[in-house]
Amino acid sequence: MEKEYFHSVILKEDRCIGCTSCLKVCPTEAIRIIDGKARIIDERCIDCGECIRICPNHAKSAVTDNLNVLDKYKYTIAIATMSIYGQFQPNISINQILNSIKAMGFNEVYDTTLGAKIISGLISRYLLLKKKVEGPLINSSCPAILRLIQIRFPDLLPNVVDIETPMEITARIVKIDAAKKTGLDLKEIGVIFFTPCTARATSIKNPLGIKNSYIDAAISIKDIYGEILKNLSVNPSYSVNVETTKETLKWVSAGGQAKSLGMEKYLAVDSIHEVIKVLEDLELGKLEGVDFLELMACRESCIGGPLVIENSFIARAKIGNHAKSLSPLTYTDEEIDQYIKMYEEGFVRLTETIEPRLVMSLDKDISKSIQKMELMREILKNLPGIDCGVCGAPTCRAFAEDIVKGENNHSLCIVKTIESFKNKNLKRKGENKIES
Amino acid sequence: MSAIKYTFQIEKDDFSRAGEASSSIKKILMQVGSEPSLTRRVAIATYEAEMNIVIHSDGGTISVMIDPKCVMVLAKDNGPGIENIELAMKEGYSTATDRIREMGFGAGMGLSNMKKCSDEFSIESKIGEGTTIMMNMCVKEGE
Repeated sequence: MEKEYFHSVILKEDRCIGCTSCLKVCPTEAIRIIDGKARIIDERCIDCGECIRICPNHAKSAVTDNLNVLDKYKYTIAIATMSIYGQFQPNISINQILNSIKAMGFNEVYDTTLGAKIISGLISRYLLLKKKVEGPLINSSCPAILRLIQIRFPDLLPNVVDIETPMEITARIVKIDAAKKTGLDLKEIGVIFFTPCTARATSIKNPLGIKNSYIDAAISIKDIYGEILKNLSVNPSYSVNVETTKETLKWVSAGGQAKSLGMEKYLAVDSIHEVIKVLEDLELGKLEGVDFLELMACRESCIGGPLVIENSFIARAKIGNHAKSLSPLTYTDEEIDQYIKMYEEGFVRLTETIEPRLVMSLDKDISKSIQKMELMREILKNLPGIDCGVCGAPTCRAFAEDIVKGENNHSLCIVKTIESFKNKNLKRKGENKIES
Repeated sequence: MSAIKYTFQIEKDDFSRAGEASSSIKKILMQVGSEPSLTRRVAIATYEAEMNIVIHSDGGTISVMIDPKCVMVLAKDNGPGIENIELAMKEGYSTATDRIREMGFGAGMGLSNMKKCSDEFSIESKIGEGTTIMMNMCVKEGE
């Protein structure tokens, strides 16, 4: 059984006015408005952050950490998402950005290149060659997509590559290195991830496919942006030990992971609602001839994360510019052998089975479920079908679903109520006429 | 025993809506909490049946009967009927027009895919009257 559901996505109740914006965009119908406030259904939320993006009142927010967390550790390491390079003016170099982060009090700073390089190498030189599963391999690098597949497309779980994310792999390597270097215990070393999204913040506290994360905290780019800006003028004296390449840098923009594999038969899809459509096609066997599927929940991939500042299209251009001056990704045979060993030994591998979670079902008992379906159909006949959301559920169907599940006995269908009120009035008028 | 039946109307030549019935059926099965690989088999089989009705027939219906262990699918069309069923069942055999093939359909895999997905499969067809396909799919041991 999974632990209690920790979610990075939360609601700031005082800001929520109970509008229906988030209801409509949630890809797993995980939001209801109850007593005028949005509520997240924990077991359904996949932390994609669509609700944060759309909320006009900034009532949806993310639980992340802040720099105070540094005090908890003797030695600290920052790992930044490479999407951070798309957040500043084009003349600001990668070196400057990493130095600025270092100046906040970290002992070491990295980006996620190392992890990305290992994953690309393993998929292109190993996993694709020994692929046994029918259909394409699917990237495991987007935690929101992983959770989406878990609850909506569980039959495709075997297609997901069983490798950890770039941030996790990078964290493991640099944390163990630091422990060797300093003689400190792993617990005394804090690895802090600068995250572009809620899904990654969640997967640190509540990982999928691994027992525990090597990352200790996540700081949102949005929250730390001002701090980085302030420090940009510091003398970049720290020699940054990252070997970001053209291909690994583009990992954070749409299609970048697939392209880094150096293969042709791939399909790259970004933004969660499009991903759902493509997964539906894949389930029906309509994606013939595709060997690799890159699926990312955010538009334009990680550079469009819900916790970044810059517009994703502009960020993509900036990332492209940075990439121009970088050297191409290459591997030695020794490196590949080393990666394969890391994989086989479970060091970079998802060692825990990701179990399907049938959270969409009406009841655990199928017979009862079927009875509830029947009841739902009856209720639906009496609902207007305009999906206005005023009842607090995203669609009339979801409203009916809540009723049969016994989760809604407080809200009414306003359309139905007005209708019956009108009918009553008409009837009364009719009666009046007869009388007069 | 509890069971529930749904019927969907399928229009001839309506490619923009093709796939809606099978997608609704899949959603229903997920809500019922049916075993994932059974859900997928039913989704594929009903999708193929739906496409066949859209492409080859004068319209028809797809019905599903869902009970806790099995899903029965009945795909019925209003004609024109299949001349040679044995030939139609062959992988790669198709009577689809070039226009349909250009759209990426009509690869001649529909009927064989449906058979592959089902535990029981039967097809009856009468020229001038129509075709009826019955498929039964059940949860497999160990799933």
